[in-house]
Amino acid sequence: MRRFKMTALLAAAAVLLSVFLGGCRAPATAGQEGQHRIFFVVKSTETEFWKSVFAGANAARAEYNAELTLYGPDTEEDYDTQNAMIAQAVEEGAEAIVFSAISYTENAAAIDAAAEAGVRIVVIDSDVDSDQVDVRIGTDNIQAGRITGAAVLDTDDPSLNVGIVNFALGSRNGQEREQGLREVLQGDDRVQEMITVNVAATQEAAEEGARRLLEEHPEIDTLVGLNEPLAVGTGLAVSDGGLTGKVRVIGFDTNVQCVDMMREGVFSALIAQNPYAMGYLGVEYAVSLLEGKKYDAESWVDTSTTIVTPDNMFTPEGQKALFPFG
Amino acid sequence: MKRRGISVNTVLLAMLIGTVLIVLVSTTLLFFGSYERSLVRSSETNSIRTVYQVSTTVNEYLSETDKIMETIKGTLEDTGVDRGEFFDVFLRIRPDVVAVSTYDGEGNLLRCYSSLGDEPTVSDVNLSFRKEKIGDYAEGYISAPHVETLFTGAYPWVVTMITPLEGAGEERWAALDISCTNISAYINDIGIGRRGYCFLMDDGGNIVYHPQQQLLYSSLKEEDMEMIAGLPDGSCVENNVIYAVQGLRNGRWKVVGVSYVQETISENLMEMGRIQVISGAVILLAMMFVAAGLSRTMSRPIRELASQMEAFEQNAEQFTYTPDGRLREVRILSESFSHMVLRLQELMEKVRDEQINLRKTELKALQAQINPHFLYNTLDSISWMCEQGRNKEAVRMVNALARLFRISISRGHELIPIRSELQHAESYLQIQSYRYRNQFTYAFEADERCLDYLCNKITLQPIIENAIYHGINGLVEDGRILVTVREDGEDILMTVEDNGTGMDAAQIEAVMQKERSDHAGIGIKNVDDRLKIYFGQDYGIRIDSVPDEGTRVMIRMPKVRRERENAQV
Repeated sequence: MRRFKMTALLAAAAVLLSVFLGGCRAPATAGQEGQHRIFFVVKSTETEFWKSVFAGANAARAEYNAELTLYGPDTEEDYDTQNAMIAQAVEEGAEAIVFSAISYTENAAAIDAAAEAGVRIVVIDSDVDSDQVDVRIGTDNIQAGRITGAAVLDTDDPSLNVGIVNFALGSRNGQEREQGLREVLQGDDRVQEMITVNVAATQEAAEEGARRLLEEHPEIDTLVGLNEPLAVGTGLAVSDGGLTGKVRVIGFDTNVQCVDMMREGVFSALIAQNPYAMGYLGVEYAVSLLEGKKYDAESWVDTSTTIVTPDNMFTPEGQKALFPFG
Repeated sequence: MKRRGISVNTVLLAMLIGTVLIVLVSTTLLFFGSYERSLVRSSETNSIRTVYQVSTTVNEYLSETDKIMETIKGTLEDTGVDRGEFFDVFLRIRPDVVAVSTYDGEGNLLRCYSSLGDEPTVSDVNLSFRKEKIGDYAEGYISAPHVETLFTGAYPWVVTMITPLEGAGEERWAALDISCTNISAYINDIGIGRRGYCFLMDDGGNIVYHPQQQLLYSSLKEEDMEMIAGLPDGSCVENNVIYAVQGLRNGRWKVVGVSYVQETISENLMEMGRIQVISGAVILLAMMFVAAGLSRTMSRPIRELASQMEAFEQNAEQFTYTPDGRLREVRILSESFSHMVLRLQELMEKVRDEQINLRKTELKALQAQINPHFLYNTLDSISWMCEQGRNKEAVRMVNALARLFRISISRGHELIPIRSELQHAESYLQIQSYRYRNQFTYAFEADERCLDYLCNKITLQPIIENAIYHGINGLVEDGRILVTVREDGEDILMTVEDNGTGMDAAQIEAVMQKERSDHAGIGIKNVDDRLKIYFGQDYGIRIDSVPDEGTRVMIRMPKVRRERENAQV
């Protein structure tokens, strides 16, 4: 009995000792594992929106000591290239892919395959139809659409004819933004009609689409461009068509041309997303996923959305939302 | 054996380990406390030094911009020079100067020289020079950061320095928009600890340049500017964050160093803690061995002593003990116990002897007593016989009385031969049968072999007395008393039988338990007590009685030879 007690005590002491020794050494070895390899596969590398995403990602890369590779196709329609990039990222040893889908459906298989290979998937900005996604970060697009609707209705005009310049039907973002927008507009009896034109997500296509829309429906007094190139294109169509002051334009994102046109009176509101935060949080969440944390992939990590109007664009808050630093 | 309470072993072990733990923990805490304080202090010193270095560099930068401002002012005040050519060159060699603009007394833009374009294109808003703030503008004014709004197509973040112009015609003010790119690279590289950093702020709590400015603008990070703006120069610790503040020579900007107590210090503390824990564990382990050894040398003899004590408790008389133990304290305890055992045994012996002696003395005193009523009655009977002239009978009576007293006294011996005891009983019966006018008859049946053994004197007489008084006295027909003596195995068995009224169980009980109430003569209980004292619990009196039929009293005693009587008394 006594002998047993003694032995038990000594054993307990030995276990304690080893736990302390082991416990203290563990984090040191974990830190030596090296950098996490994180790949960004997004829709474009050209627009200011995505440049800002990359700026955020780079800031996080420095902070979390991750290895970062940035991929994006030349056009925002080229989901095949995106799928190839996903495959390439897996091949190059990606531990996590931060992904923004051009097509909700067409990119799904590639993402499933990547997840199958053990890569953690972080979705930013645009969703993909896969249940392998670990976390989703971005704008609540329906809510952003509603905000856009509120901006459209923020006028004294007794009647409104709204033209919507939206991008390809395959993109979830565009559909959700339009859904939120229409939801708000339908609830107001000043709105006479809502006409949508779907175009490729380029400035030229949007300009062309908006011009056609204005020709076919001269009664349109409000135009909405639902992402950055569409907003620029729509704004240019109004500005170049001499319709400044006659047709109000409301656009997404904060391209500098849109800012210029807002100062000229073309734009009455810009919906500023927070692309820098998407990039930064994309890396941050990827790192914490790789360190074993779990997230609810169904609910979005919402990055803030700010509405900027000519009235508030040069307030300190407006400046911060519109103009990236450095 | 019951095991209640805590063993010495456990107490010893617990106390030792407890002490070691308390000492370890308290020294660790003390050490950690002072170590942490000194680490925080050195971190603060480090922060202050870094911030001071940064402020030196930024001050140089500021004096450089002051010189630029001087130059620009000189150029703008001198109407003779070709400004266009000057600014052409100037803007090329100083790419961080975004724009230089001049304003009239009303705040209207007059001229603008900029790398962004030749002419300002938009006039809706001008964050560089705001008419409504014209009253605030003076030599050395520096604005909060804002975007450059004089041109379209590009909106770099700048700060504006404004200075009044003298003697330059209508121009009253010059504004210099300058971006922080020149010092940003420098400030970005400044690290304090692993995650610490420096930033520039103005006296309005606006951030002039922050390495994570876009994080702040994107609401991914927050800096408690209100609190920081209130901090004086020097350092302070708020919520585990060390803030070091150093004002700059322009009096409007401050360099703020932010570093984290947790990271700088907890790493060091972790290392120290690890060493402490290891050494603590080693000491604890060693203490456990020591405690085990100690408790073995101490508690084993104590437990042995305890078990000896238990044995003593069980059987005090037969117990023998030899002191043991190497430890002085245990040896003292052990010797004391040994002494106590001997002393106790002596005392027990003494008490028992004294008890026996007391009883013997008491009994002797009782035996010596002659029942005065009996003597008086007997003498009265003798006298009466003499008066009647029944001299023969009187003589026999006197002889019987004499024998009775002789045997009663027996030269002080307690034990007398059974033969004498029977004579005593017969003398008594003789006297009583005269007195009771032959109301009863009596007979003796004694085994010859038994007569030389010894028995307590006055054993039969109290029993016969009881038989006469309580058995025969109330009887109408003739009473009979039979006294027998015979061997019964190793014992002698005497019986006194009568055919009297008998006794029920309660009466028997009373007779066996009570001393005689008249305090004269000896009761049956005394006889029983004496037998038991002399020969032990196995011997003594037993009474069988059937009411209205008679009583038989059996007296059991061992065979005692004459020698033993001498030894005994």
